[in-house]
Amino acid sequence: MPKLDRSAYYDLTRDMNWKLRYVSEEEAFPEEQSKSYGVPAEAWWEWDEPYKVTYREYVYNQSDKDASTYSVKSAIARSKLFDQVDPGWKSAITAHYGAIAYGEYLASIAEARMARFGRAASWRNMATFGTLDETRHGQLQLYFPYGLLRKHPQFDWGHKAFHTNEWGAIAARSLFDDMFTANDAVGTAIQLTFTFETGFTNLQFLGMAADAMHVGDVEFGSLISSIQTDESRHAQQGEPTLRILLSQGKKEEAQRLIDVMFWRSWKLFALLTGFSMDYYTPLEHRSMSFKEFMEEWIIKQFIDQFRDFGLEKPWYWDIFLDELNWLHHADHLGVWFWRHTVWWNPDAGVSPEEREWLEAKYPGWNDNFGRYWDVITENIRQGRIEKTLPQTLPMVCNMCHIPVCTPSEPKQRHIAPYVSEYNGRRYQFCSEPCKWVFEINPERYAGHLNIVDRFLAGHIQPPTVEGAYAYMGLTPDVWGEDAENYAWAFKKAEGGKATAV
Amino acid sequence: MAQVPQRRRAKAWSLWEGRRIPSEYEVISHKLHYHFRRDPAPFELDPNTPLNQWYKKYREGSPFQVDDWEQFRDPDSVTYRDYIQLQKEREVYLDNLIDEFERQDHYAKLSKPWVDLLEQLYIPSRFSGHILQMVALYMAQMAPASYITNAAYFQGSDEMRRVQRSAYLAKVLSLDHGEHLADSQRTRAIWEDDSHWQPLRELLEKLLIAYDWGESFAALNLVVKPVYDALFIRQIAELARSNGDTLLALMHDDFGLDSQRSQRWTTALVKYAVERQPEHRTLLKDWVEKWTPLAYRAVEGLAPLFAKAPQPMQSGKVVEAVCDTHKAFLVEVGLE
Repeated sequence: MPKLDRSAYYDLTRDMNWKLRYVSEEEAFPEEQSKSYGVPAEAWWEWDEPYKVTYREYVYNQSDKDASTYSVKSAIARSKLFDQVDPGWKSAITAHYGAIAYGEYLASIAEARMARFGRAASWRNMATFGTLDETRHGQLQLYFPYGLLRKHPQFDWGHKAFHTNEWGAIAARSLFDDMFTANDAVGTAIQLTFTFETGFTNLQFLGMAADAMHVGDVEFGSLISSIQTDESRHAQQGEPTLRILLSQGKKEEAQRLIDVMFWRSWKLFALLTGFSMDYYTPLEHRSMSFKEFMEEWIIKQFIDQFRDFGLEKPWYWDIFLDELNWLHHADHLGVWFWRHTVWWNPDAGVSPEEREWLEAKYPGWNDNFGRYWDVITENIRQGRIEKTLPQTLPMVCNMCHIPVCTPSEPKQRHIAPYVSEYNGRRYQFCSEPCKWVFEINPERYAGHLNIVDRFLAGHIQPPTVEGAYAYMGLTPDVWGEDAENYAWAFKKAEGGKATAV
Repeated sequence: MAQVPQRRRAKAWSLWEGRRIPSEYEVISHKLHYHFRRDPAPFELDPNTPLNQWYKKYREGSPFQVDDWEQFRDPDSVTYRDYIQLQKEREVYLDNLIDEFERQDHYAKLSKPWVDLLEQLYIPSRFSGHILQMVALYMAQMAPASYITNAAYFQGSDEMRRVQRSAYLAKVLSLDHGEHLADSQRTRAIWEDDSHWQPLRELLEKLLIAYDWGESFAALNLVVKPVYDALFIRQIAELARSNGDTLLALMHDDFGLDSQRSQRWTTALVKYAVERQPEHRTLLKDWVEKWTPLAYRAVEGLAPLFAKAPQPMQSGKVVEAVCDTHKAFLVEVGLE
């Protein structure tokens, strides 16, 4: 082994900051690629990463990881483990691969942006490792569903989703592009690595890994855990960036970056993780409810982080806490109803036992949502499946691109939709914060058409639900069907109790 | 409900157009840049948002275009998994090499004049190497196909590898030959103020702002990097050998492997593009002609330092050797 420890020479691996002479600062670090917020160049040079790593350590450590992840995969491929896994769980991972595989690879572009336009050499180095990490994550999460193509053509959407205008893909792109693919390096450090990665994904992946092991999906569990071990390294880019902004008196700017992206992340997270945890994961393997998970991990942790930095809770915190009670239930009902518009098989998750669990975890669930499911259940029992499928498109938010849901409790103060006018055009939003994100920066979003705008503008032909399915790239062999082929609707409650109708 | 035709169970991605089964490399690299040439804009925001405009101007708007980039293949077909495995082996090799030389107290045996020269000629190269890293990652994020992007990601990572080994050497030399060798301010002062370095610095700073994707590729991979590597790998290795610094020579032989890998995919990309659009030969040659004079001036700036070594190499010979190496590469690539 070379005689020097990393700590002896590490400073020399990251001191390559210099004053430009032959080109200007603005030419080499244009504001659109790297917002300086008026912070002088040499102040950025103080950027200091908590976790230090050198290239040689990186390749050593990663080599071991990949060896074990791929060998689990080979072992599983030879077994029939996947065939035995619960259909709801299969749906959860099908949704995951489609939304996340490309998301990870896109993040490699964002990391590369920081590797070029980050305003300190140390930052640029960490981002170079981040670029490699996200390349790894993209490639792993393509390779795994590819291996499952024989099991179900829906796994093709692990590769195809982002090429389409399926509404979930639009929502994912809208979030990811705002957060990182089309964001400057400084914004990316705060919004991707700090807000999204340390705030949300870190914990979601931990949760999913644990659930996967419970469910018996060893392959997915080990994939996700392995990905997670990389996360803390590149997610650390947010903190030093934030520290510099705060030390230079840019607290308002930092607060705004975080507030915008916490809300936007929440919307997609509620959709994907909400239905995964509370409806698709088999009942016996649910360790906590989505709301409990959010309260325990994200709310508690995030509040601590805010406090540590002297930041405030976002202004919409009460709205967020309220949405924790109902948003994902409404999203799930909508996704199930519009199941032909997604590439996985939504698991209704409303068998009698599951409804008991939902009522216990979310008192009032039966009054608010159960009564809709009652109607659906009855239609299924009477063989009227066509009544459980849509005739129209829902109203869709111009910010998060998720259908606008209103709580069915009329005493709620929310009204839907929230509306904004800008340059003669009307925009519709699901919530006050989504509207606020638009209004503080309309030029970033104004020229974009959501899927309903496109429908109304004649982009979707024929202008019918069938036309919409085709526009979204969905065909009967891949679009979503009920995960259990409606078997749940025929289950009786324990003890022969009649289910509510 | 409409009759759904029976389909054979899918064996490859639906977006894979080939008749044969894709390789693992292709499965995880194919068509990932769905945003390239997307209407109305690459990214799912207002079409005129700054980064949508940036990509439309510098990527979709570059003169370096072909109909379909997705058939390009890195001849080494490197995936992340491959890259890590490959470089881990190389890093183990370098560790063992360094270990062996350290056991023989290599650094203490180097002469003062040689070490003084290293301070002037070699130690500041972590600044220039870092810029090569930055530009490779820029070129990567602007490339129109993931097959190209990935190869460029690995190239940028290779630059970081080289820089970090030079940082190690700077420190370890300082233990025997003086703290100044590991003094960041001093090293930076050479990079910023020493006249030998200014032409290279000018070249690299200008390279940083070559934002057109095609020009970035051509300037970096057809001119700057091959010229830089010819000087800082081949010529340095020869100088080190003549001066009894076998460790430095062997390390640079190893970096040469990374450099050759970059040249292989670069050659393949040029051939790919020119086959499809013969006029790209002219486009690429024009860019080469634009950047070469500044690159050769950079070499002329540093070459006199080679003559200051205890076992000197004539400045003119160094320049000639680098230019010859570069020209040979251009011939191989079909641009000379």
